[in-house]
Amino acid sequence: MNNKSDILVGIDLAKTYGELAVVKGVSLAIREGEFVSLVGKSGCGKTTLLSILSGLEHPTRGQAFLNGKEITGASEDELALFRRENVGFIFQSFNLIPTLSAWENVALPLFPIQMSEAERRRRATELLDQMELAHRLEHLPAALSGGEKQRVAIARALINHPKIVFADEPTGNLDTATGDAIMAILNGLHRKQGMTILMVTHESELAKTADRVLHMQDGEVLS
Amino acid sequence: MYHAYILKELRHHRHRTLVNILGIAVGIALFVSINAVSTAYQEAVSLPFKNLGADLVVQRAEKRAVNSSQAGPSMRGIRLPFSNQLLSSDDLDKLRIFPGIDAMAGSLLLWNFDRGGFRTIMGVDMSQPSLGPVHIKEWLAKGRFPEKKGEVVLEKHYAKFNNTQLGDPFTIGSRSFSVVGLLEIREGAQIASTNIYLPLADAQDLMGNESKIVNLVYLRLQNPSRLNQTKTEIMQSMPGISVASSDAILEVMGGVSRISDQFSLVVSLVALAGAIFLIIKTMLGNLVERSREIGILKAVGWTGGDVQKQLMGEVFLQSAVGGIVGVAAGYLISYLLGYLAIPVTTPWEVNLLPAFAKEAGAAAQTIRLPVSFSVGLTAAALALSLLAGGLASYFMGRRMAKMKPADILRRL
Repeated sequence: MNNKSDILVGIDLAKTYGELAVVKGVSLAIREGEFVSLVGKSGCGKTTLLSILSGLEHPTRGQAFLNGKEITGASEDELALFRRENVGFIFQSFNLIPTLSAWENVALPLFPIQMSEAERRRRATELLDQMELAHRLEHLPAALSGGEKQRVAIARALINHPKIVFADEPTGNLDTATGDAIMAILNGLHRKQGMTILMVTHESELAKTADRVLHMQDGEVLS
Repeated sequence: MYHAYILKELRHHRHRTLVNILGIAVGIALFVSINAVSTAYQEAVSLPFKNLGADLVVQRAEKRAVNSSQAGPSMRGIRLPFSNQLLSSDDLDKLRIFPGIDAMAGSLLLWNFDRGGFRTIMGVDMSQPSLGPVHIKEWLAKGRFPEKKGEVVLEKHYAKFNNTQLGDPFTIGSRSFSVVGLLEIREGAQIASTNIYLPLADAQDLMGNESKIVNLVYLRLQNPSRLNQTKTEIMQSMPGISVASSDAILEVMGGVSRISDQFSLVVSLVALAGAIFLIIKTMLGNLVERSREIGILKAVGWTGGDVQKQLMGEVFLQSAVGGIVGVAAGYLISYLLGYLAIPVTTPWEVNLLPAFAKEAGAAAQTIRLPVSFSVGLTAAALALSLLAGGLASYFMGRRMAKMKPADILRRL
């Protein structure tokens, strides 16, 4: 790691699938409390880069450091534990478990942890209350609107008090108004709570709301 | 493991859960029913001996006329069956002190031929109250068992055929008797089923006042597990003697009984293995279907072990329910099959009827399969259902370990 205030650092990261190079020697650093947008056309490699930086995927080459720990050489289980303690995810397609209620989806990262059900529920309820979904605690995802689902997903990303939140096209499946509301929540998290956020999007307008915009093209970060 | 999650998953995917539970239940039901029916089959075969409280029946066949199928003109009056010649007092003394013998009782089986046909007569040793044909007094339908000489008990249908009732006089040879009881022959009574029962002394008188003679000896062993050894030892030390056990019935029945005796466990395990294979295939198929969910769980910080524990919980719950349903269904099938009567063939040497009385040299009597609940079989079936769950979990774990969250989420 080059700088103590950098919470996320990537050095010469590359990912190839057979002959296809998806990420080509990307180096970047994100400071603690920063909101960074990674913008680029569909298929330019931004989701793969996000997966590498968040510990979901191993790079073919290069190193990634998250919160001071190198994650590129870690095993699958070590990465899972690391993600549980340090990372929050927000996906384009929400990725909620359809059989679990809203509060249970929020508490999902806490299930493997030794914790009373009451405590899990309390923490999930508190977050859903912040997302103005206190009245939807027991609802299944199928009974929620797109915006509500994404707010549940945001609450889930925050339940483990992460050091950084990775958001992959968080408004991609939402209408403009709902998308704006979700962006408002993310901006609020960043401004009010100092949350570090790396957001992947293909919408330039949306990307502009971040502190810094990184452009990606053909597997390379241009700026 | 999050129990509410397990229940919600199983409830939400009712069809999938039902298929898995039914798969296990069918395998376990096959295992239970094949084994329960097989055990009942063995039980049915051993019933004729069990009904007499005997492990072995000892007799001496006539040398020249073994298994004859024709009755010659000399077969008039009261005579000994070909397969039941008199046992000498030496034979009886040897048997009495033979190692491993717990109790011994004798009887005298006679055939009586006259113009009207033939009848079978059994002289019963009353001194041994729990061994030999004396057991059949439990089957008395009317009256009582003979207490002194001159009294007989008739088989109910034989009495009806001969228009004889309780209290009527009854003649055998030149001697008169009084009918003091009627009895109804029950299932599995082949080796003690005759038309007439009377005290042993009366039967001996019918043979010409020869005292202490018998032609059938019933033995109860101190240790029934030494049955085959004792049988062989008796035959070796007493030449010309034949010793029968329930195995003799098993041998003449062949077919299903041999299969049930030797292969029931193998057949049932093969059936169960087939079912387990299908269950594992189904569950692995379910795993592919659930890859999205597994990807999400891993992405939010569940380790492979956490996911596997959760899946194991689901599999074991389904296995346990499938096992219980399978055991219940298996016993239900077995008890229903127990209503079917199976023919139990009696080998000629312990068949009390003359060979010509039947078309074949062996007589068959139908017996309902005595299916009974076995704690051991139930425990084994439940253990196997959990083993099936364990195997399914193992293979699911292996498959699941290869699932990378990024690969899964990329495909969504």
